[in-house]
Amino acid sequence: MSIKINNLSYEIENRRILKNISFEINSGEIIAVLGPNGSGKSTLINIISGNLKKTSGEIMFNGTNLDKLSIEKQALLRSTMSQNQKILYDFKSEEIIELGWIQFNNSNFRNALKEVSNECGIVNLLDKNFSSISGGEQQRVHFARTLIQLYNEYIDEKRYYLFDEPTSNLDLAHEISLIKILKEKVKKNFGILIALHDLNLAYNFADKILLLKNGELAKYGTPNDVFIEKNLSHVYEIPIVVNKKEKIIKYY
Amino acid sequence: MKSSQKKIVKLFATLLIISSFIAIYKGSYSISIIDLAFGNLEEIQEFVILNIRIPRVILAGFVGCSLALSGACLQGLFRNPLADPGLIGVSSGAALGAATSIVIGAEIAPNNYINSFFLPLSAILGSIFVIVILSIITKGFKKSNITYLILAGIAINSFAGVGIGILTYISDDAELRGLTFWSMGSFEGISWSLIIPSILLIFLTTIWTLTFSRRLDIIQLGENDAHRLGIDVKKLKKNIIISSAIIVGVSTSLVGMIGFVGLVIPHVARLLGGANHNYLLIASIFLGSSLMIFADLISRTIIQPAQLPVGLITSAIGAPFFLWLIYNMKRK
Repeated sequence: MSIKINNLSYEIENRRILKNISFEINSGEIIAVLGPNGSGKSTLINIISGNLKKTSGEIMFNGTNLDKLSIEKQALLRSTMSQNQKILYDFKSEEIIELGWIQFNNSNFRNALKEVSNECGIVNLLDKNFSSISGGEQQRVHFARTLIQLYNEYIDEKRYYLFDEPTSNLDLAHEISLIKILKEKVKKNFGILIALHDLNLAYNFADKILLLKNGELAKYGTPNDVFIEKNLSHVYEIPIVVNKKEKIIKYY
Repeated sequence: MKSSQKKIVKLFATLLIISSFIAIYKGSYSISIIDLAFGNLEEIQEFVILNIRIPRVILAGFVGCSLALSGACLQGLFRNPLADPGLIGVSSGAALGAATSIVIGAEIAPNNYINSFFLPLSAILGSIFVIVILSIITKGFKKSNITYLILAGIAINSFAGVGIGILTYISDDAELRGLTFWSMGSFEGISWSLIIPSILLIFLTTIWTLTFSRRLDIIQLGENDAHRLGIDVKKLKKNIIISSAIIVGVSTSLVGMIGFVGLVIPHVARLLGGANHNYLLIASIFLGSSLMIFADLISRTIIQPAQLPVGLITSAIGAPFFLWLIYNMKRK
């Protein structure tokens, strides 16, 4: 089971944002989406999340066409974390996480909250005002909200997490602990798509790499296949050195 | 709702009961509270209580509920702390609609009975029109949505002012009289037959609006994230536009424009109890009703036997609060 993206294109005002993208997000697999600013990473995530309507192509969720899934059903199958959202009014962090709890049965929320806040190390943030905590802490709370959306024991279909630069405000320790959580999710057979800027991070934990340039698929495959100096230097337009043995990418 | 929030709601409900009792027994025609409590009333006192004060207090309560509730919903929907039906032009849209029906409606349908339905209906259409325009205009703006909503409100308010001005100019004596009385914004001349259909409509719409609270919470994450959590954002917007337009339109058609209630009440409720809407909407309803009943009580007792327009009282309270709010925004 997978999310299958077939020949996906997206146009706005006659400008091609994405062009003929095809790949597959398998359950139990992490795909890192890489590429320079404006290469179409966020647009890709927005289309798979159902926020934007594709111009052409096909997206299949576990064999069902995305266009045929209701938005309620989509919300049960995939959870998406977008880049920095501000919350205007004073909500407690716990209330923000609760917004991700979309099940009708509310009795299990306390257990799920306990589990997810331990997992993400945010127990001490729960009763703080969301607007008063730091940007990195806010990002961790949103991450927890994204996780809890799929805490549903009654669904036996494969489910997927999509992340748009979830580590952009995190320090090193929290970046690594977030990656560890993703690894755990993969063991539980979730499929994960994650947009990143950090090539080294992607090299070391992603199962597959999707390299975008100007809305086109520059390269798609395992890290070892994709992280070739010629590919990266071409996409990022700077000289890049790859140390295959130690899995280190140098660009300065 | 948390238990601390339940306490606040109970407090506001008590406030509503107390303010209603005071407003029923106090007024320019004096009635002793002992006589009222024991039902020891002369015929004229009974008439004053039953046919003048009680309907007036009930209407004031429902109007306060409408304005505060629509303020809370619009602030939530637009994610904008300055959204108030008066400030952003929804009330003046309703006023223009109502004024149109007073002046033009009288010529199309001279029948008084039909006219009494025509007035609230055109006020509702006026507010729907304004909210739709506002959501189209502010659609593309992300962070500066706050500023543009208010700027659009200024334009709509003055445009409605032009419309009402023209209508005033072309109206004949009888229409002008109706227009002037109505636009002063007060609860004078209220009767049971006039208010029963309106309070029924406000009551039902309020119940309907309360079902939006969870979705209003989720939309605080932004429209994209709300959609990803399974919320039909378009439908929610449409529902809130319709419900706000009904309650504001009906209220405005009966009592004219009353400013700042929709702005102040949700903020006070939020400051005291929190921002989640299943608390906020109910708290705003109770607090808005009690404030309006108090404001109306002040307006008819402060310089007896004359009556001040109630909008004057609410603006006197609300305008400084609005300034304080803007002053405070720079800290965020």
